[in-house]
Amino acid sequence: MKTYSKILSLLCVPILGSFFGCGEKPGEEGADSQASFAYVTNGVDPFWDLCAAGVRIAEKEFGVNCEVLMPPKGVVDQKRMMETLLAKGIDGIAVSPVDAENQTPFLDEVAENTILITNDSDAPKSKRLVFIGTNNYKAGRALGGLVKKALPEGGEVMLFVGRLEQLNARQRRQGVIDELLGRPVQSLEQVKYDPVDATNLTTEGSKYTILDTRTDNFDKARAKSNAEDAIAKYKDLKCMVGLFAYNSPSCIDAIKEAGKLGTIKICGFDEQDALLQAITDGHAYGTISQQPWEYGYESIKMLKKILEGTQPENTYQEVSFLEVTQGNIGEFWAKKKEMAELGKSE
Amino acid sequence: MSSDSGLLLEVKDLKKSFPGVLALKGVSLTLGKGEVISLIGENGAGKSTLMKILAGVQPADSGDYYIDGQKVDFKNVREAMDLGIALIHQELNLAANLDLASNIFLGREPGSKGFINEQKLHTEATRHLKRVGLNLPSETIAGSLPIGKQQLVEIAKALSCNARVLIMDEPTSSLSQKETETLFEVVKGLRDEGISVIYISHRLGEVKELSDRVTVFRDGENAGELAKDEINHDNMVRLMVGRELSEFYDREIHKPGDCVLKASNVVSPTYPEVPVSIEVRAGEIVGIAGLVGAGRTELLQTFFGVTPSLGGELEVQGVRFSPRSPADAVHAGLALAPEDRKHHGLVLPMTVRENASLPSLERDQNMGILDHSKEKEIANVAVEQMKIKTPSIEQAARFLSGGNQQKIVLGKWLAMNPKLLMLDEPTRGIDIGAKREIYKLMEKLAGKGIAILFVSSEMEEVLGMADRVYVMHEGGISGELQKNQMSEESIMQLATGGSLEA
Amino acid sequence: MKKNVFGIFGLLVTVFVITAIADPNFLSAYNMQNTAKWSSLYGVMSIGVAFVIITGGIDLSIGSVVGLVAVVLSFFTKIQGLDPIVAIGLTLLMSVLIGLIHGLLITKAKLQPFVVTLCGLLIYRSLSRWLTDNQSLGPVPLEGDLGFENLEQILMLDFLFSGQIPIGDFFKLPTPALFLLVLAIAGSVFLRKTIWGRYLYALGNNEDGARYSGIDTDRMKIVAYVLCSFFAGIAGILFAFELGSVQPAQTGEFYELFAIAAAVLGGCSLRGGEGSILGVIIAAAVIRIIFNSINMVGISTHLEFGILGVVILLGVIGDEMLKKKMAERQVAASEKLAAELSEKSKNNENLD
Repeated sequence: MKTYSKILSLLCVPILGSFFGCGEKPGEEGADSQASFAYVTNGVDPFWDLCAAGVRIAEKEFGVNCEVLMPPKGVVDQKRMMETLLAKGIDGIAVSPVDAENQTPFLDEVAENTILITNDSDAPKSKRLVFIGTNNYKAGRALGGLVKKALPEGGEVMLFVGRLEQLNARQRRQGVIDELLGRPVQSLEQVKYDPVDATNLTTEGSKYTILDTRTDNFDKARAKSNAEDAIAKYKDLKCMVGLFAYNSPSCIDAIKEAGKLGTIKICGFDEQDALLQAITDGHAYGTISQQPWEYGYESIKMLKKILEGTQPENTYQEVSFLEVTQGNIGEFWAKKKEMAELGKSE
Repeated sequence: MSSDSGLLLEVKDLKKSFPGVLALKGVSLTLGKGEVISLIGENGAGKSTLMKILAGVQPADSGDYYIDGQKVDFKNVREAMDLGIALIHQELNLAANLDLASNIFLGREPGSKGFINEQKLHTEATRHLKRVGLNLPSETIAGSLPIGKQQLVEIAKALSCNARVLIMDEPTSSLSQKETETLFEVVKGLRDEGISVIYISHRLGEVKELSDRVTVFRDGENAGELAKDEINHDNMVRLMVGRELSEFYDREIHKPGDCVLKASNVVSPTYPEVPVSIEVRAGEIVGIAGLVGAGRTELLQTFFGVTPSLGGELEVQGVRFSPRSPADAVHAGLALAPEDRKHHGLVLPMTVRENASLPSLERDQNMGILDHSKEKEIANVAVEQMKIKTPSIEQAARFLSGGNQQKIVLGKWLAMNPKLLMLDEPTRGIDIGAKREIYKLMEKLAGKGIAILFVSSEMEEVLGMADRVYVMHEGGISGELQKNQMSEESIMQLATGGSLEA
Repeated sequence: MKKNVFGIFGLLVTVFVITAIADPNFLSAYNMQNTAKWSSLYGVMSIGVAFVIITGGIDLSIGSVVGLVAVVLSFFTKIQGLDPIVAIGLTLLMSVLIGLIHGLLITKAKLQPFVVTLCGLLIYRSLSRWLTDNQSLGPVPLEGDLGFENLEQILMLDFLFSGQIPIGDFFKLPTPALFLLVLAIAGSVFLRKTIWGRYLYALGNNEDGARYSGIDTDRMKIVAYVLCSFFAGIAGILFAFELGSVQPAQTGEFYELFAIAAAVLGGCSLRGGEGSILGVIIAAAVIRIIFNSINMVGISTHLEFGILGVVILLGVIGDEMLKKKMAERQVAASEKLAAELSEKSKNNENLD
C-alpha cells in the first residue's frame, strides 16, 4: 500500500509529492502513560536503522515509547531537533553527538532538563550521565589486528574516513595506527593523536607504513575517487582500511575496477552489504561490527533504568564489538538482515 | 542685468570624449554677472555634457575655466558648488519623505557636535524658500508638493549654498503652463539679485522670453551666438541645424493609403481611465506630441504588446489584433524603435550582425538552424542602407555611437518589412548627421507605403516631419492637428491641457 | 569568443603540468581514466547549468535532482522491477517535468530563480529520503529484489553508463566520457548554430531588448530550465551506476555548487549572456584535476575547498582582465574609425 502511494505521488513530482505522505507518519497518541524517550543519531545512515532495531526491541520489552530522530545536516539539525524535544517535553534522550567538544555547553543544557545519555560517540566533558558505546580506540586496534592478519608480511596501508572531526573517527584511526605500529595501548580517556594530515607513519621495527588518511565529507563520489587516487599514486599499496561504513565499499569498487582484487586487501568497519558480500567472496578480509542494535537496545534499557531511579554505576558502558571474517560471515549477515527489517524507519 | 562688471564665468576650448564619441570638440562659453543665457542645440549637440562638466559631475578631457577672471579647477560636485556653480537636475533629487528644510540643508545641517540646530535650520530654510517665491512652512514634506514647486525647492537649495551660477537643464519639460510662468518669474527675480543662469531648453518660445543672450551648439562645437535683439525662431533653428529648416526636414506629402493601424478606445495600463483612439494610414508619417509623462511611450508599448491593452480594439489592416507580447506584434507586421535604445532597442554586448538579424532569425531558420549567410546579408544591407559607421559587422553594438545604434535598430526592423514602424524619440541623443539620415529614411519608407508613427519631444522634429500630429495630455488625446494647423503654439496649447479655441 | 576559452585552457594545462611534475603517477593510464570519468560526470551537470546561467538565471536544485533521479531510478529498477529502459525514460521525464515547473514558476508566476530552485533543492532532497525511507539503494538489483529478473538488461545498462571501453592496450575509455562528448556537441550546436541558442544569449544579455525584438523570452527561459534539469537527470543516472549505491540524503549534495563553479570558471557570467560549452567542460575538468591533484600531491583534504576557491577566483580575475583588454581593442577600433571619418568629411556628416 505504502509503495503504491509513493509511486502515485512520484508521478505528481515534485510539488504535490511533498504534501502527500507527510501526514502518514504514525502519531504518538496513546503514549500518555508510557515513558517517552528519544534516540537522536548523528546523521542519516542505514547504520542507524540497525540501531533503531534495537530501540524497537527495547521499546516492546520495557513498555516505553521511543522516537528515533536522524538529523540530516550535522550539528545544526541535531541541535534543532533536540531543542524541539525539550520543548515538547521528553523523559530522556540518547544521543550520538556530532561534535562532542563544541557541543558540550548545549549538551549540558539538555542534561539539566532531561535525562541525557550518549551512545556511539561520547561527549566526555558534558554532564551526560553515561556513555554507551564501542570503545572506538579498542575497536580501532582490533581493526588494526585484522589488517595484520590480512597482511602478515607487512606493507603500505591507506586509511579512508568521512571526516575526522568526530571523536569516534579519531579514536578508531588512532587505534589502527597504534596497533599497526606496535605502540602500547593508550587509555581511552587520554588518547594522544597523530596529526590528521600525517603521512607515511611508521616506526622502526614495524612492517607497516600508514601512508595517509583521506577524508571525503560523506560524499560517496569523493570516497570513491579518493580510493582511485590512492591506487594511482601508490603502486605498492597493500591494504585499504575504511573507517566509516561506506568507505570500504567505495574501496572495493575502486579496486575491482582497477583490476587489483586480491593485490590490495580491504578491511572495513561496520556492516554494509557490499562489504559483507566482498568478505563472503574473499575480496575483503574482514570487518569490525559494533553490533549497532546493541546500541539502541542498551540505550533504551539504560534510560528506563535511570528514569526509575537507578543511577548508572559507571559513566561508561561498553558495548562489545564483533570481528567478522569469512569464518562467521553467514551467521552475522542473517542477523543483520533480521535487524534491518525490524529497524526500518516508520 | 548687464555684464559690464566683466565676466563671471568663462569656459575655453573644452573637450570631452566618450568611448567612440567625441562629445565636445573644444567649446567655449561666457556668462556675465546677472545674465540669463540660453544654451540651445539639437539633441547630442553637447549641451548636457557641458553642463555636467560645469557642475563637476564629470571631468573634462581638457579645457580651461575662469571665474571672475581667475583660472579655477574643480574635480567634483562639491568643489563646483564651493565655486558657486549649481546644477538643477532634469530629474529632481529631493528626498521625498524629508521636510523642505531638511532637504535644503541635506548634508550641511547647521549645528554642532552632530546635533542639529533645528531652529536655525528652519529659519534659514524659510528665508531661501521666500527667495524663490515659496511661502510654505519649511516643515512641509517634499514629496507632497507638485513637481513645479519641487523644482523651486531645488533652486532654493542651490541658493542656500550661495550659488552664483544656476544651471537649469530642461526645467520645464514636465511643468504645466502655470508652473512654467511661476518659474520664469523666479528666474527673472534672481537675475535682478545678480545671480546668473544658464538655461537649457528645446522650447524656443521660452528661450526667447527669458534670455539675454543665446549660445548655440551644434555637433559638439559652438555654432553661433545671438544677442538679445537677434533672438528669434528662425535664427535659432538656422544655427541649430546649420541650414534652412525646409532643407533639413526634406518631406514630400504622399497620398495616404489604406488604414494600417486603427486603435479604438485602447487603454494603456498607466492611464486606465483614459481610452485612446487614433489611426495611421499607409505612407503617412504621424507624430505624437506632448509633455514628458503624457502617456505617449506607454501608448506605443500597448500597440506593441509590451503592456497589453486593458480594453478597446486594435486593428492592423482591418484585422482584429490583440497583442499579448512584442512577438505577437512583430508577427502582425509591427515594429518599434523604443525610446530606451540601450535597454529595449538593442542587446548592447552583441554584435551589429547579431542585433540586426535578431528579429529575422525565426523567419530565416531552417529547422532551427541559423542561416549564417542570410544573417550576414541582413547586417551588411543594414550597414549599407543606413550608413552605419562601424569597423565591421562583428563590432559589439555597445561601442558604437547613439546614432549608429539607432540605425541598427532601424536596420533590424527594415529587414522584417514592417507594415507599421513606430519610433519613440527616434533622434534622442543622436548627432546631426545621423539625424538627417534617419529623417531621410522615414521619408523614404513612407514613400514605399509603410505607415510611420513617431513620438517626439522635439518641437522642430514634429513640425518638420509629421503629416499629422496627435497631441497627448495626461494619457488622452487632447487634439489632432493637420499639417496646416501645426505650430509650436498650437501644440503646446494642447499639450498643456488647453484647447485650440480658448 | 574563442579567445575566452584560451584562458581556461591555459589554466587546465598549468594544473595538469604542475600535478604531473609533482607526481608522475598522475599521468598513468589508470589515473587519466579516472580523471576523465569524474570530469565527465560533473561536466554533464555543468553543461546543463550553463544554459540557465547564460540566460542570467541560476539553478540551485541540480544536486537534489541528481540525487532524486538516482534514487528514483534505483527504486524502479531494483525495488519495483520495472523494465529498466522504461525506468530510465520515466526518470528522465521526471527531470524534464521538474525543469518545466521551475521555468513556469519563474516566468509565469514571476518568482526569482534563486528562490524557486532553492525550494526545489529542499523538496527533491526530502522526496528522495522519504521515498526510500532513507535507505541506501543501488540501481543494480540483488537476489531477492523484484528487479532481479531484469538483471541482465540492467547489467548492460550498467556497462553503458559506467563501463569502460578498451582503447589500445593500456587505456580504457570510461563510457561517461562518451556521454559528455555527445551532450557537449549537442549543447554547442544548440547554442551556436540554432536560433534558440542565439535567443538564450540575447535574453541573457538584455531580456527587454530581446523581448522588444519579438522573441518569446518566457518560452526560451523555460527551455533553459528544462535543459538544465534534463542534464542533471542524465548526470543522476550516470552517478547512480557509477556509485552503485545511492544514499538518498547525500548523493548529489552540493553538486550544484560544483556545476555553477565550473560554469563560472568556464567563462559564464552570472549576469548572463556569456559562456561556451567548451569553456565549461574544460573548467569542470580543471576542478576534477584539482581534487585529483590534492590527493596525488598529498595535500590535506581539509584544504581542498580553499584551493578550489582560490583557483576559481584567480581564473575569474584573469578572465575579467582578458575581457577588458578585448573591449579596449574594440573601443580603439571604433575611435580610429571615428577619427578617420571626421578627417574625411568636414561637412555635417561626420560621426559624433
